[in-house]
Amino acid sequence: MILGRVIGHVWAARRDARLQRAKLLVVRPHAIYEPAFATRHLVATDDCDAGVGDDVIICLGAPARASAGGNDMPVDAAVLGVVDRIEWRPEAMQEPGAAPGIKRALGGLGGLEDAR
Amino acid sequence: MFLGRVVGRLWATRQAAGLAGRKMLLVRPETAARLVVAVDGLSAGPGDRVVVAHGSRVRDLTVGPEVADKDIVIAIVDGHELSQ
Repeated sequence: MILGRVIGHVWAARRDARLQRAKLLVVRPHAIYEPAFATRHLVATDDCDAGVGDDVIICLGAPARASAGGNDMPVDAAVLGVVDRIEWRPEAMQEPGAAPGIKRALGGLGGLEDAR
Repeated sequence: MFLGRVVGRLWATRQAAGLAGRKMLLVRPETAARLVVAVDGLSAGPGDRVVVAHGSRVRDLTVGPEVADKDIVIAIVDGHELSQ
């Protein structure tokens, strides 16, 4: 699971039939994992009524499908919870490998920038 | 899943059997300077904004297990709103 902040919504009329009732959010991960976040943002389904500006817990892969409505949902990321409060020691996060899956030191929690 | 824009199509005469007849799209993620070759599960085309999902399970559920690509277009975006 990873932490991120909701920064937007997506609307799509033409979508996979199994996604018809899914709410899609755009989330900016707080921690940078490789390689999933080379795109520096995620689109995740949401069952928790998260809104723009909320910090959320995101789950990837099979558990995300389970949360999104079953193993036959064609999704790979889902919001599992809305964070009320976080307590953390930011300096510990500067050490690569401080947590499983983190391959390099975390950058700033900078915004979405256009890559071009 | 990520948000991207379809920037082109891709054709290949010699390709894996699983890709035969599949429409391949070049998708540029909205926030990264890279290109992803995604298989189209809907009917997206260049210029469209799409949501691309990744993984073998997603592939199995949408275009079928024989397809040799794990990035699949699952939605064509009508609008999105980003707060920044």
